[in-house]
Formats: sequence, C-alpha cells, structure tokens
Amino acid sequence: MVAELKYEISQNAYIKLVLHALKHKTTAVNGVLLGRVNPQNESVVEIIDSAPLFHSNLALLPPLEIALIMIEEHYGSKGLGIVGYFHANERFDDAELGIVAKNIGDHICRYFPQAAVFLLDNKKLAALPKGKDQSPVLQLYIRDASKNWKLAGPDGGSQLVIKEPAANVVLSDYISSEKWQDVVDFDDHLDDIKMDWLNPELFK
Amino acid sequence: MEEEVLGSIFALSGSLKLGVQRKSSKWTLYEQVAIAAMDCQCLDVAKDCIKVLQKKFPEGKRVGRLNGMLLEAKGLWAEAEKASSSLLEDNPLDQVIHKRRIAMAKAQGNISEAIELLNKYLEIFMADHEAWRELAEIYVSLQMYKQAAFCYEELILSQPTVPLYHLAYADVLYTLGGLENLQTAKKYYASTIDLTGGKNTRALFGICLCTSAIAQASKGRNKEDKESPELQSLAVTALEKDYKQRAADKLGLLVH
Repeated sequence: MVAELKYEISQNAYIKLVLHALKHKTTAVNGVLLGRVNPQNESVVEIIDSAPLFHSNLALLPPLEIALIMIEEHYGSKGLGIVGYFHANERFDDAELGIVAKNIGDHICRYFPQAAVFLLDNKKLAALPKGKDQSPVLQLYIRDASKNWKLAGPDGGSQLVIKEPAANVVLSDYISSEKWQDVVDFDDHLDDIKMDWLNPELFK
Repeated sequence: MEEEVLGSIFALSGSLKLGVQRKSSKWTLYEQVAIAAMDCQCLDVAKDCIKVLQKKFPEGKRVGRLNGMLLEAKGLWAEAEKASSSLLEDNPLDQVIHKRRIAMAKAQGNISEAIELLNKYLEIFMADHEAWRELAEIYVSLQMYKQAAFCYEELILSQPTVPLYHLAYADVLYTLGGLENLQTAKKYYASTIDLTGGKNTRALFGICLCTSAIAQASKGRNKEDKESPELQSLAVTALEKDYKQRAADKLGLLVH
C-alpha cells in the first residue's frame, strides 16, 4: 500500500500487549490487533483492542487457527476485524522481525491488506521508567510494494501513535504494580477454558 | 513470579543463617539459593552463596558449574564458555555442563550451534526427554516441522502413555499439512483424548480442525475413503458441553 497510513492504537490495546510480553519474559509471545479503517479518514487505521495469543510454540497452526476463528467471530459482530499482529522476541537483544511473525503478518494481510506488524522494542521498554517518552515501545513494520516487511522509519510515510498521550505513564504504573500477572492469553484459555482471553476485568 | 522466587530466596537464606543442621542439605540449599538468585539477577546474593560453597568445596565440580553460571548471568560469554570447556575436560559425561553450553548458545542467539550441540548431546544421552522436547521446540520455532516431528516420534516411542507428546506430534503434523499428515494428526489427537479421559480441549479442537482440513484435502477423491463422522460429532459435543458449563459466554464462538 502506497498511501501514507497512520496507525492509531488505543491505550488499552497497547498496554495489554506489553503486559502480556512482560508476563512471559523468557519466551516469545504474540497477539493480534483488532480495529478498523477510520470511517471518516481512510488513511487512518484505528486499533481499538488487542487479543494476546500465545507464549509457547508460536509457530504451530492448530492453536492459531482456533484463536483466529474465535476472535474474528467475537469481534466481527462488533464491526471490528484483525488489523495487525504483535510479536515479542524471546531474547532481549533480538530486534529482528522473524519468519514466524512475517508469515502470520502475510496471512493477516490477505484479509486486511493494510495490516501492520508490531515488534516489541525491548530497549525502549527497558528505558520506559526513566524517560518521558510518549511514543510507543513498539516498532512498526509494513509491507512494501513487493510484499516485503519493512521497518517504518521516522522519515517514512506510515507512523504509529497512541491515542491517549499519557499511555506510557499508565503503563509504567502497571509495570510497578506487576499488573501483568492478570493478563490471560489464548494459551491460558486452551489450557483451561474458564480463563477469559478477552480480559474483561483487566482495566477495571 | 519473581516475587515468589525472591521470597523463597530470602526464606532459604534465612534458614541458612539459622544454621540448618542436616549436613548435606545445607550445601544444597546454598546451591539452590545461588541459582534462584541468578534467575532474578541478584548477582551479589549468588556470589555470596558461591563464596561459601567455594570455601567448603575448593575443588568441587558443582561449585565450578555455579561459577560458570555466574559468568553467564553476567553476560560474560567468552569466560563462561572457557569455564564450561575446562569443566567438560574433567567431566566429559556431566549432563548439566553439556546443557549449560547449549543454553549459552541459545542465549546468545546462536540457534544453529544450539541445535548442533543438542543433537550431539542426545546421541550420548538419548533418554533425556526434556532435551528432546527442547530440541523439538527449537525446530518448531524455526518452522523445521519435519525435524520437530522426528523428536516427538522418539518421545512417543520411549514414553507412549504421555499425552503431551501425542498432542504436540499431532499439532506438528497438522502444521506440516497434506492429506496423510492430517489423517495421522487426527489419530494422535484421538489418542490424546484417550489418554486424557476426553478432557483435553486442544485435542478436541484438533479433531474438528483435522476433519475440516481432511474434507478440503480430499475433495474429488474416492468417496469410499470418507471417514466416519462419529469422532467429529463426539468432539463437538464434548466441546459444547464443556463450554456451556465453564465458559458459556464463549459458546457462540464455536463456529464449527
């Protein structure tokens, strides 16, 4: 997509994903982003919610297929679809977008061509409590004309903003209070279906 | 999680100070506290414990291993590797040291080296189930599903009644795809359900996924090969019942 797209992520969607990554520090984690194209402005993708997926064996199809079916069924009735994919690498100093993330990203693009992939920026996350940075601790990747995933740089067209400017302050707060313990993902749900991957009580 | 570990460390180190009387367990406690401390990056606590152990066991191999781990925890990879190589010279069949080398390779992102070392390790210690699982998971993360399948086959051969391996094998086969793999996957989801008394949600879903995928893959094929639909409907019924009981708000999402 050549148009300069802007991705606007809601505070809750953003925080949920980062907390999920913090809950499972020693493994890679992933999640999907739910939203829609802004009905008033076609060049803005609104990310309204997120669903944490897995913290083990991210590259196996069965759990992923089940999760996507249930997620699409739930959010479809609200007029939202999967608009992006989130991935956090296993190791702190691994800042590369791996093959699994690219493949899942490609799959999502088949249904939503403007889909983006978000990679957790570990260094930025580590620096969070010290700075006053309002920008998200995520790296934005979009597909270029040849369908390769490219990092969207500050000079590039696309950009990612958090809807609520104080989100990082809230996030830092949650980190100090170890809120990540309350995050439920799809792995948890499949292990015990009483666990609700919608996390309805997380931000109450 | 970290809080609990920290709590345990301080509780354990407290009991150390109180002078736990039984001889062998005191030193094991120091070792355990040292490792737990390293897990939480409390390197000073770890160093103190190791110092105590070093005094008591100056030539000890276990102390040597702990020192190696401390170097790892500090990220001093070159020194840590040197330490483990020299330890291996004296103790070529020490499983823990072998595994530390594999862990180091993984931690530094040398996945191909980790795989090589792990394969060599398994040639010697082929009964180490955790190692087979580790190798399988590494292969899966690299999308090397055939190799992952091989690992699970080894595990199922040696421990045929562990449902976890049947489930993982089925997941890998499904991911590999192709009619034959899908049919085999379905069999292993079925055996997982068998081994878990019908309680494994993932296996129940697996049956449903396989049934759909097999139907897709065998479109236009001989109708005589059609599978009996009982397994699928049993799985669906079981899932619906479970969701109704324990997660009723999600019942509507079971589209199959």
